[in-house]
Amino acid sequence: MENWKIFAKGLILENPILVLALSLCPAIAVTSSVMTAITMGLTVTYVITLNNVVVSLIKNFVNPKVRVPIYITSIATIVTIAVLVLKAYAPSLYKELGIYLELVVVFAIILARAEVFASKNSVGRSFLDGFGMGCGFLGAMVIIGAIREVLGNGTFLGFSVFGQAYDPALIMILPPGGFILIGYLVALFKMINDSREKRQRIRGESA
Amino acid sequence: MEHSNKNDSILKIALNLLGACIISGIIIGSLYTATNDIAVAKQEELKTASLQSMVADADEYKEIEGKEEWFAAMKDGQAIAYIVPAESRGYAGAIELLVAVTPDHKVMKYIIVESKETPGLGDKAKEEPFVNQFIGKGADELDPDEAVTKTNEKGKIQSIAGSTITTRAVTKAVYEAVEAVAAFDKGGH
Repeated sequence: MENWKIFAKGLILENPILVLALSLCPAIAVTSSVMTAITMGLTVTYVITLNNVVVSLIKNFVNPKVRVPIYITSIATIVTIAVLVLKAYAPSLYKELGIYLELVVVFAIILARAEVFASKNSVGRSFLDGFGMGCGFLGAMVIIGAIREVLGNGTFLGFSVFGQAYDPALIMILPPGGFILIGYLVALFKMINDSREKRQRIRGESA
Repeated sequence: MEHSNKNDSILKIALNLLGACIISGIIIGSLYTATNDIAVAKQEELKTASLQSMVADADEYKEIEGKEEWFAAMKDGQAIAYIVPAESRGYAGAIELLVAVTPDHKVMKYIIVESKETPGLGDKAKEEPFVNQFIGKGADELDPDEAVTKTNEKGKIQSIAGSTITTRAVTKAVYEAVEAVAAFDKGGH
């Protein structure tokens, strides 16, 4: 039950993009189509999970004064491993990801989880935390990407949804549309979390 | 303070960082050695595949002497197309293309090798409906100042909605490639 809570808090309660508001830049830059959003989401899930495990493993050897540079070194190493492996075994996917893959190194959410969670918790719990946060990130990216692609381009994963007659709302694909949409989604998640809190309080009082 | 003083000496801190960097260096270095050969081989494979996707019915791709990265697609000893690289500045940095030009200087096809154009907008320039507009056109129909239109005009290049800059850049690159092949033919034969 506790393990489930560590994993699940990243999905809605502490969703990295829509509640913690971290890593908003990729959430706008790479969500104009579902496919790029999914690839980015999976990459981040991989890096954040592995980095949480590594940081948790080495937490006792790291001098607190230089912990941030060391965490960054760890993240950079993990990303470089991904780059080298992709280059050798899936060059077309590597090309598709372009510069975004290297940019993962400086995503705030990854460093934030290393600092806030993995440096203080056991390996197993850190793994669950990283994986949950990664899934929350992936989920948010896919939601944003799907809405933007459907409204802004009339397609989903490249397949036409509305047919030829639909005149796409171009603004949804441009950055302003992304900002507006994320604003609405943040409000929606706030509503969900508020009503959940209220329910829990009522339950607590009646008990 | 939760940590003791002896952990705070400059030397200890420096060693700590040094250790992290050495470990990271060893991991990346050994992985690089292990994967580099495969990566280079894949790169070659990808190049041949992209040449093949340009001119499918050629049975040999000959490098043209004196021109870097120029290829002649040969079939039964005859050149059926020239594949040449082209480049121009798009909306977000350079766009690199490969353009296949027929011996009578018409566009056969082009592919975008490298670009950072906006996904969903400018990067539609690599998709079929847009690419097809170029097929069969000669340099006279591709003048970058005149050929691009926003409306659906026959014989012209209809720009991608919201990406006029990308459209112009691609048109310019293709135009220059066709011109270059024409100039090469004149000088070469």
